Amino acid sequence: MTDHTPLALTRRTMLAATALSLAAPRAFAQAAADVRIGLIVPLSGLYARPGAVMRMGAEMGVDHINSAGGVKALGGAKLKLVVIDCGDTTEKAKNAAQRMVAQETDLVAASGAYLSSFTLAVTEVTERAQLPVLTLSYSDLITDRGFKYVFQTSATAGSQARQALPLLMKLAETASGKRPKTVAIIGDNTASSVASVKPMREGLLKELGLELVMDETFTPPLSDATPLVQKVRASRPDMLFFLPTVISDGKLILEKMNEFGLGQGRIPTISFGIAIAEPDILQTISPDLLQGVITCVGSWATKGHEDLVKELKTRFNEPWMTQNAISTYGDMWLIKEALEKAGKADKLAVAEALRTMDGGPSKYYPGGILKFDEKGRRVDAEMTVVQWQKGIPVTVFPQKLAVAEPFWPKR
Amino acid sequence: MRSLVPILIAALIYACLTLVVSNSYYQLMLTLVLVWASFGLAWNIQSGYTGLVSFGHAAFFGLGAYTTALGQIYFDLTPWLLIPIAAVIGGVSGLLIGFPTFRLRGHYFALAMLAYPLAMLYVFEWLGFQELTLPIKRDAPLAYMQFSDPRLYTLVALAMLLAIVLITRAVERSRFGMALLAIKQNEAAAEAAGIDALAWKLRSIVLSGAIAGAVGAFYAVVLLVVTPPSVFGMLVSAQALTVAMFGGVGTVWGPLIGAVILIPVGEILNAELGARIPGIQGVIYGLAIIVVILVAPEGVFWTLRDRLRRGARTAAAMTPELSAPAAPLAPADTRPAGQPRKPPSGEILLSVKGLSKSFGGLKAVQDVSFDVHRGMILGIIGPNGAGKTTLFNLLNGFLPPSSGEVVFDGRNMVGCRPHVLCKAGVGRTFQIMRPFPRMSVRDNVRVGAYVQAANEQEAHHLAADAVNRVGLSPVADKMAAELTTKELRLMEIARALAGKPRLLLLDETLAGLGHGEADEVTAIVQRLARDGMTVAIIEHTMQSMVRLVDRFLVLDHGAVLADGEPEQVTRDPRVIEAYLGKKWVAHAQA
Repeated sequence: MTDHTPLALTRRTMLAATALSLAAPRAFAQAAADVRIGLIVPLSGLYARPGAVMRMGAEMGVDHINSAGGVKALGGAKLKLVVIDCGDTTEKAKNAAQRMVAQETDLVAASGAYLSSFTLAVTEVTERAQLPVLTLSYSDLITDRGFKYVFQTSATAGSQARQALPLLMKLAETASGKRPKTVAIIGDNTASSVASVKPMREGLLKELGLELVMDETFTPPLSDATPLVQKVRASRPDMLFFLPTVISDGKLILEKMNEFGLGQGRIPTISFGIAIAEPDILQTISPDLLQGVITCVGSWATKGHEDLVKELKTRFNEPWMTQNAISTYGDMWLIKEALEKAGKADKLAVAEALRTMDGGPSKYYPGGILKFDEKGRRVDAEMTVVQWQKGIPVTVFPQKLAVAEPFWPKR
Repeated sequence: MRSLVPILIAALIYACLTLVVSNSYYQLMLTLVLVWASFGLAWNIQSGYTGLVSFGHAAFFGLGAYTTALGQIYFDLTPWLLIPIAAVIGGVSGLLIGFPTFRLRGHYFALAMLAYPLAMLYVFEWLGFQELTLPIKRDAPLAYMQFSDPRLYTLVALAMLLAIVLITRAVERSRFGMALLAIKQNEAAAEAAGIDALAWKLRSIVLSGAIAGAVGAFYAVVLLVVTPPSVFGMLVSAQALTVAMFGGVGTVWGPLIGAVILIPVGEILNAELGARIPGIQGVIYGLAIIVVILVAPEGVFWTLRDRLRRGARTAAAMTPELSAPAAPLAPADTRPAGQPRKPPSGEILLSVKGLSKSFGGLKAVQDVSFDVHRGMILGIIGPNGAGKTTLFNLLNGFLPPSSGEVVFDGRNMVGCRPHVLCKAGVGRTFQIMRPFPRMSVRDNVRVGAYVQAANEQEAHHLAADAVNRVGLSPVADKMAAELTTKELRLMEIARALAGKPRLLLLDETLAGLGHGEADEVTAIVQRLARDGMTVAIIEHTMQSMVRLVDRFLVLDHGAVLADGEPEQVTRDPRVIEAYLGKKWVAHAQA
């Protein structure tokens, strides 16, 4: 506070006064009223756990912003988080969103809602209520509807599908000095696995000059992984795409691979999405089995986030920081930036600020800049490659964000 | 029409409430209450009235929702048009699903129904429709049912619900509803009363599917996002069951009460507790439902109604029922009591030739032949397990015989279904009584009248006449659950009579009756015969029968042991042996 120049102080005071008189007449008497931000995430039901982690990230973000002096453009106004449980169904998410916009009319922005179906339902409501929402959900549809009040901070699913393979190729080349030539796929027949594999089979592999040497689809639950893993051993691919949905299937396959001496990254084993890197998985699969397993995710704690990871561990007892925590943490800072730019605690102004923002390199989301295109997608959003190393999934690629060296067999 | 008043008043109050509420969240709740009430009613039409519980109504609901979503995305159609289309799709899928699935009964039906939405869920995921959103129409919102004023959604839903309520009531009051209720209470008895069970069940699932489809289509408009789990998921089917079972199954009020209470309570719990103690809302909601089901196992509506009725029974007895028929209520018996019975006229009404039925190795009925003459009373007797009831089941079509002929009025009826035989003029009652306990005596009897009645009025008339003939007119407006055993027996006879049978099959009609009661019933059967009815009656006690019947057919181990005049048969040593054992033969002859 003391290092501000008198000029800055005057301007700040003036801006705050304007903002208050415009946006919050009832708070006239106070110096700086709290600015309320919605967090609409699943806190009950099937997705309660990721929702809880998002809340941790948001709380840390709000605390850090507030202890750093709040929103300067609003006279140091503090952020206040309004947490809303969006439940475990699309209908509950819609109801919660309607409740949010009807009951919490002074929100300036919100973040949510984990699952893309929930985000779709929530933003149908917030769009009509003109409340800007930041989301880490991937679905392309979220920003394909011509909406003006939703901002996607992660690379969309479509973009991730295009990015992932070249990214992995680059990783392999950097780590081993060789370009992979052969791949194998083991996936179950659930919708998400099938959808992830489909573009690969239909030309993506060929484009990258990769030969598909083994392609096995199984129906969960698997009773014995031996035949699958035997085929892997026989074909010895340079990369194995590994897409189980049921944790027990993943465990069976990893156990068998270790038994056959293919585990521990000896055959680079690559999954997609966050499931294989959530702390919960350690309840079922031991860290030894997971050693070396790679996954591609929209965001992760990267270089420069070490203090956040430490704080998350001490404060919430979370062993590492997943996308859910870091992205939501970043959302709070992004909303704060938008408030600074808007100069008033008003949702329309914040939305406009987000639309026109050009905030330079992104600090809490991987790659790209703090700028949204006309659809509301973050410009040049990238993704991260995470590898299990000594019981913790750590970011290993892209290099500028990596906290550890990837290990990839050099042969 | 008088009974429509409460529903219209309720709708009016709801509409006023809708106009007053300006909070968009409360307004959404008002809409969703109506949506789930409508869905509960759709479920009720099939499962509530037929008693065949469906765990799979999400199938119709989901198809409706996807009709709206896909129709708007790919064909740019408006929901105003897509909702009726969804109803057609729901109805057709009801037919396609019902036809194979109605071969199953009870739990098996419920479980089979469960499979349809689950299968559809995966099909729609596989088709790539994991997430659909209804495109926002900024230039023509009204044409696409995208109201900026949320009150309009509630009003549209209210209109829809009102229409569904009217349909349900029309069903409830017509032979459609009667047939379904009869099937619910006892499908066999219903078939015997002339109801084509499969045809009515199919009609009910088609109607139910059509309504559920329309409701699902509207739900998509409200929610704007359609995903397979949100419309085909287990919770969707369960929602229909929960609101209907909570409020009361088999009545139009049940799903309405259920939705009005459960949807807001669930949502209030979500809102108040969700962010504080995540998950506790589900626990409280579940416990509340358990408690209510324990206290009111048949649903809130029936429990409340029973309580009110019990309080005001005497008052209710005084009030004439709306359905009181125009037919004059003649005194129970005007005929002189001692008139001699006329002998069998000689014309053969039913001729059974060489009838046999085996269940695996067990020959339940072996080579049974006999004739029944018009106007006579035939007593079929025999010890327990002699094959009497099996013989009846062969006669009225419940079982196909292994061999032999059943010639009724000159036509071989082997292979005909019970309702066909009933229409041809074979009526029957059951050893184990099958009353429809929640219906009045008159309505119980009316179920049996539809087989001959061309319209509701005639059915009422036939029912009143049948009630009168068995002397139940004084208790015609009582609920069947309140009757004595004797009255129930008589009511069953009346139900069979209402279908104007020419041959009446009575299965152990005297069982469980006291001496005086048995005599009363016997007198009534005699009077029927005197009026020209042909009767075949099963009994295992000989005593009461001797005075009643014109002829005895004695069965033992599935075969005819004796056939003749009562006097002659009761002296037959073989009959005595079959009944009492060898040592009594000498005794009896002495």
